[in-house]
Amino acid sequence: MSHTKRLLVAGLLLLPSSALLAQDSVIVIDPDATPSDTLLRGGPPAQVVAELIAFYNDSGTTRIQGDVSIPAGSSFEGGLAVHRGALRISGRVSGPVAVANGTLYLLPGAIVDGEILVVGGRLIRSAEVRHDGGERVFWDAAPVLRRPDGTLALRERRRPLGDLATARTTFQTGRVRTTLLLATGGTYNRIEGLPIVFGPLFELRPTPNSTARLDLRGLLRTAGEGSRLTSDFGYGVGAEFRSGSVGVTGRLYSEVASIEDQPLALSESGWSAFLLQRDYRDYFERRGGGGSIWVAPVRPLRLEVSMRRDDERSVRATDPWSLLRNSDSWRRNPLVDDGHYFTTGVALDYDTRNQRDLPTTGWFLRARFEHSTSDDVAPVALPASVRPELPLGGGYAFDRLSLDLRRYSRLTPSLRINARIRADGWVGGDRFPVQRRVSLGGPDLLPGYDFRAFTCAPRGFLDPSRLALCDRSITAQVEVRTRLGLDLGYRTRDREGSPTGRFIGIEEADLVFLADAGDAWLAGSGPGQVPVSRIPNFGEWKVDVGIGLDAGEIGAYLAKGISEGEPIKLLVRLQRRF
Amino acid sequence: MPLRFAALAASIALLGAMSLPLRAQEPQGVRLLVTLSPDSVAGGARLPIVRSENLLSDGRWLSALRSGLPVRLHYRVEVWRSRGAWFDLFLRQAEWDVLVRHEPLLDQYTLLTFTAGGTQERRYATLDALSAALAFSYQVNVRPPNPGIYYYGAVLEISTLSDSDLDELERFLEGDLGDVATGGGSIGDALGRGATRFLLRLAGLPSLRLEGRTQRFRVR
Repeated sequence: MSHTKRLLVAGLLLLPSSALLAQDSVIVIDPDATPSDTLLRGGPPAQVVAELIAFYNDSGTTRIQGDVSIPAGSSFEGGLAVHRGALRISGRVSGPVAVANGTLYLLPGAIVDGEILVVGGRLIRSAEVRHDGGERVFWDAAPVLRRPDGTLALRERRRPLGDLATARTTFQTGRVRTTLLLATGGTYNRIEGLPIVFGPLFELRPTPNSTARLDLRGLLRTAGEGSRLTSDFGYGVGAEFRSGSVGVTGRLYSEVASIEDQPLALSESGWSAFLLQRDYRDYFERRGGGGSIWVAPVRPLRLEVSMRRDDERSVRATDPWSLLRNSDSWRRNPLVDDGHYFTTGVALDYDTRNQRDLPTTGWFLRARFEHSTSDDVAPVALPASVRPELPLGGGYAFDRLSLDLRRYSRLTPSLRINARIRADGWVGGDRFPVQRRVSLGGPDLLPGYDFRAFTCAPRGFLDPSRLALCDRSITAQVEVRTRLGLDLGYRTRDREGSPTGRFIGIEEADLVFLADAGDAWLAGSGPGQVPVSRIPNFGEWKVDVGIGLDAGEIGAYLAKGISEGEPIKLLVRLQRRF
Repeated sequence: MPLRFAALAASIALLGAMSLPLRAQEPQGVRLLVTLSPDSVAGGARLPIVRSENLLSDGRWLSALRSGLPVRLHYRVEVWRSRGAWFDLFLRQAEWDVLVRHEPLLDQYTLLTFTAGGTQERRYATLDALSAALAFSYQVNVRPPNPGIYYYGAVLEISTLSDSDLDELERFLEGDLGDVATGGGSIGDALGRGATRFLLRLAGLPSLRLEGRTQRFRVR
């Protein structure tokens, strides 16, 4: 495995099972081990478990369930077996001793004449103990259960832990694993309210290396327009087959999609809408289907070729409930260029981050190129300076390129620097429809500026939805982080009254210094436009700086745009900036 | 929200005042030990050995386990090259996860060790055995190849997980790039995993971060 591979990948160099005792106390981690998704179950050897059961069930063995003590001065003769308890010996035992899923204590003065077998617990030996006989100890739990007649039996293994790790209802029928799902989906927004997703997911593993999935989801919108059934319901049907590093997917859908994926992440946008009646995204309805083929030749790299055909329509904002400002009006949702769009795309993902949510080191690259065509586009009226007239009746085509490159680095064990370059926009063909246009300004990319401070709207063009009209945008971000101990909160007292109980509040956070620069523009040769083959001079970019505290799951920042004399902005984020 | 510049200055001062030295260890006795393997290799390269101590002596984790919450131990070992007056150079790191869960019906503790080489599952019937297993030492094969002065840093993050966190963690550890590929949010985003985790943490569910580093050693 090369050093460029994700070093998160750490391999457990498992000793040969024959040599691996349960209580081996040194585990070797090999970060260069060949990646594998195998599950190795530890446990005592089968013959030892069989021996334990046979001894426990033997009519000559004295069986005890629970804790028992052989006090000093007393003696016991014959076989002694304990299940699910601690056996404390201070006296003398003449005969073999077995403990199943319990602990054997040999206390000072203990004398044992016979074999000792402990399975599923430890042997804790004091000084001044005499033991004549063999001794075998296995810490791993003995897979046994106690029958009503008091004897032990082998317990069949239940389903693996991985299968328990779900909040959904999952059951296995033959080789098909079915998950029934009822959950919130997408986000809270001014079109759908809180979408409720329901339906089954079927998974089949024909071989250990391949998986087939069929995901059938219905979607109920709690804030539909009410005038037509499709406004209240949506659906998503997804099928995927993956074998090793190759996969094929297909999708049919009727959903509400967002126009831009900034200035807030989906979950943050949902919280903002739900709490403050501020929905920072715009939406359109998308119905259609598509498919893709992907290949991941090495773990961090993934290439995908896709095509889809969408019927894209405008949707109106409804009036879902919000916790605060509920009497205010929601920002209007813009009209889009309705029509059927056929899109082919190529995508590349390269991800060596050590964590998905809170990375500290690694690269992340996401690049997309899409070519779209439409024969029936019905464009909304836009100023001629923004977009020349689109070809009607067929032949409308455009190309889009988006790029997101991030680097997470550690300068010292406690000092990190992260950087990001993000670009999105038109690269060829006819000009973008409304639902592909971009803007800049807001908490994610330029937090020192107002939401959509830069929309490329010409002077005098007023739109209550604050429509994004730019052809292209580019942003560079950098931040420096260092860890601080904060202790913002208090620690509860434990049973003894000492303040060592749970800490309620925030113990630690990152101190973040940030700087961002970016621009969004119309491409062309008109006044105020940037030639198609260029990006704006850096001197024209908008710049902001800021400082903040990021506790991982929540962060507060102060940011100020320095290009336009903007006031200081206070922002609260529910996840990392990038 | 517009604020005056003075507010910014005051905030910076407040941040400075609040910034306490990061505690290396917790007062409850939970410890992260990072040591070097014996100097037995030609060239002097030594390996880090990482071990946590007294995890279950802190009642928070046992309480979380018995409440049905899995406990995740995320280990990270970093290799640093010391460069005197200039910033030290981060070379590489190795990470692995240990997941502990109590199964109430069996009254057993399951311990999963996730690495790229595979996942190992072990079960323990007693707290004694679990406690001993959690104190296993990990020897990490990240020997520096070139001459120089090096040291190892180690971080142990202990946290409780909700079921959805656990699901997400396991998918990620299995190398699922699904979210990356689609760029979309997964089911449950309306609640926001980060926000949920924050609320859980704010409500007093335990999380703990321990750091340590080895002495410097020279590779010839």
